[in-house]
Formats: sequence, structure tokens, C-alpha cells
Amino acid sequence: MKYHDLNIRGSSYESDLRLILEANKLGWNYVNLIYSPDKYNLALKYRKDLEEKLDNIIKVANLKNKTEFEFGIEIKTRNPNDIRKNSRKFRNKTKFISIFGGDSKINRMACENIQIDLLSRPYLKRRDCGINHVLAKEAFKNNVAIELCFKDILTSYLSYRAKILSHFRDIIKLHQKFKFPLLITTGSSSIFDVRSPKDVSAVFKSIGLNEEEINSCFNSYPENIISFNNDRKDMVVLGVKEINR
Amino acid sequence: MKLKILPPTLRIKNRYLVLDIKSEFEFSKNELVLAIWDACIRFYGECETSSFNLWLMRLYNSSPPIWEQNLTENDEITLNNLNINYKSNFECFYQKAILKCRRNSEDKVRASLATMSLYKGKKIAIATIGISGSVSSSKHKFIN
Repeated sequence: MKYHDLNIRGSSYESDLRLILEANKLGWNYVNLIYSPDKYNLALKYRKDLEEKLDNIIKVANLKNKTEFEFGIEIKTRNPNDIRKNSRKFRNKTKFISIFGGDSKINRMACENIQIDLLSRPYLKRRDCGINHVLAKEAFKNNVAIELCFKDILTSYLSYRAKILSHFRDIIKLHQKFKFPLLITTGSSSIFDVRSPKDVSAVFKSIGLNEEEINSCFNSYPENIISFNNDRKDMVVLGVKEINR
Repeated sequence: MKLKILPPTLRIKNRYLVLDIKSEFEFSKNELVLAIWDACIRFYGECETSSFNLWLMRLYNSSPPIWEQNLTENDEITLNNLNINYKSNFECFYQKAILKCRRNSEDKVRASLATMSLYKGKKIAIATIGISGSVSSSKHKFIN
């Protein structure tokens, strides 16, 4: 089984390298470095060097497994109309687009848009989990994944942590009924935030996910998103693919 | 007078977790014990934590990963308009520990340790790298 972490905060060359190596050490097989649209172009400039350096380190240190990485964009906006604009603008530039949730209109807009891969943290700064049965159906229909970010548990404590855990439970309940893709990510921005996949799954097991659901959160849903995005260029419409001969 | 040891059928079955600790300061054994208990009580509460049967067996200072040496070299990359330097002043203490807990509560212990991010205002990350049935085998497999 491959462990995917689709939300790691990319910031600079050094930090990205450390994060990937730390993730590799703890057993992650695939990481997605997420940037804001402004920083994304800057990140693309050092991508090749990052790959070379990683290969070099893996050779020198004789590491067993190699962690693949990909770059993605996170759109953070307050205006729901900007989501449509930005998703069209960046869809051909990147393989992964996530929307920073929290606002109910933005949550809805993200769930209804097939161009979006991930709705990140719909529960943020809210009194409810940010998702209801209507949005859950839309997310399933448009294949938009909902993210549960482990960093939110890490950085909060006492009543705030309890509230976040209860939001997670609500989202899990909806996921079990409506079967929309659910992703568990670490959301790490420094090496102190990275945890091993088994540790993260132990936390989510205590919240209410079972082993099978956790495996699909780490493996099958992310793989579906990645393969769908790889085929996106050749897709004429949903379900029709151009085959190169 | 010391109590007589219980027969094997009545003894508590234990498991040994091997912890990989990264922190901004070097932990003493007492501090680590306090941090572990604090994390478990925070996440599972007093009642549940009482059944974990926690005991810190060993604490080792470990060396940083091999690739850390490659990163601290003064490596410079010049791109189109960018000058990127490695910061060699990145400070992090690496330690390893063996923690005893009751069998069947390993997942709960590792979950509560994973949720710890700060101790006395300093950053800390504890990852469980292995589980074993005895101290010697955990030492042999994951520490040496």
C-alpha cells in the first residue's frame, strides 16, 4: 500500500527538501507540496534542482524507498466567483488545485466545481463542520475530495481541539453515508509537524474511522485523484478520452 | 517485604513502543515521562490513561539522519534570479526511547503521542517507529 499526503506546505527550497526527506523517513510514498498562486511560479523554478538533490541524497544515504512529489496550488479567497476564475486559470498549469474552505458559500462553490480536486478544511472557524448532506452529494457527484487536516488537531488544545474532533466526526459520518472522497493529510509546514502514516491513522481510528476507510483515505482516493488529473488533458468530456496512437 | 511475582497467566501483557523524538531542546528522562503522561491525559483523559500502564524504559541520544550532513554543507544554487542557500544553523535534537505500555492499547498511546506538538513552549515531535514484545528485541530491531 502507498501512503499519500496531498497537503504539505511548500515555502522555500530548503524547507521543501527537509519536509520531503522527513516524510520519506517516516514512510510516506507520495507528497504534494501546496503553494499559494504567487509562490507557485517561484517553486517551479527550483523543482528540477530539488529532484536532482533528492536523487543525490537517496543515493548517498542509501535510502530504501523514494518519495515522489508533486506541486499544487491552494486558492484562498473570500469571493466565491473567484473560485471559478482561478480554477480555469490554473487548471492547465498545475495537477492539483485545492480550495481553502471555511466560508459556507466557498464550501458550496468548491463542491459544485468539477475542476477542483480538494476542499481543504471546510470546518475552519465555524460552529458546524461546514458540510451538510447537500454538499456531500455534490462532492460525490463532482469527485471533490474533502480534507481532514491533522495539523488542526496538533496546533489546537483543550476545548478547541475537542470542537475540531467533533467536526471531524460529523464529516466522517457524512462520508460513511454519501461516500464522497475523504483525504487525511498532515498539513505540515515544518519537520516538527510530520508524523508517520501509522500515527496519523491511529488518531483517526480513535475518532471513528475503521481500518478499511483509513486505507482508502491514504491510498485509493488520492490515487484516483492523481490518475484522473494525469488523464485530464486527454479528456474531451467526462468519460470520453482521446487515445494517442 | 517485596510482593511475590504474579503467575504468568495473571501478569499484564506488555508491548514496547520505540519512539523517535525530535525536539528543540534535549529531553531528560524525567521531562520525557512528564511529557508522555501529559499527552496521554490530554487526549484520552485520566480514566483511559490509567489503563495504559505506561513506563519509560530507556532513553537514548541518537544521531541525526545521514542526509542531514548533506543538507548542512554550504551548498548554493543559482537560478535565473534566485540565490538559494542552505541554512546550516538549523538546530534539532534527535533522541530515541523505549516506552512500555499494556498490550492492545498501543494504538491509543501512539495516537496521543502523535498529537503532542509543544512542551514548555518548545517544539517537539514524537513518532512511533516500531512496536516489539520485549526491550531487547526493540533495541536490536530499531535502535542499533
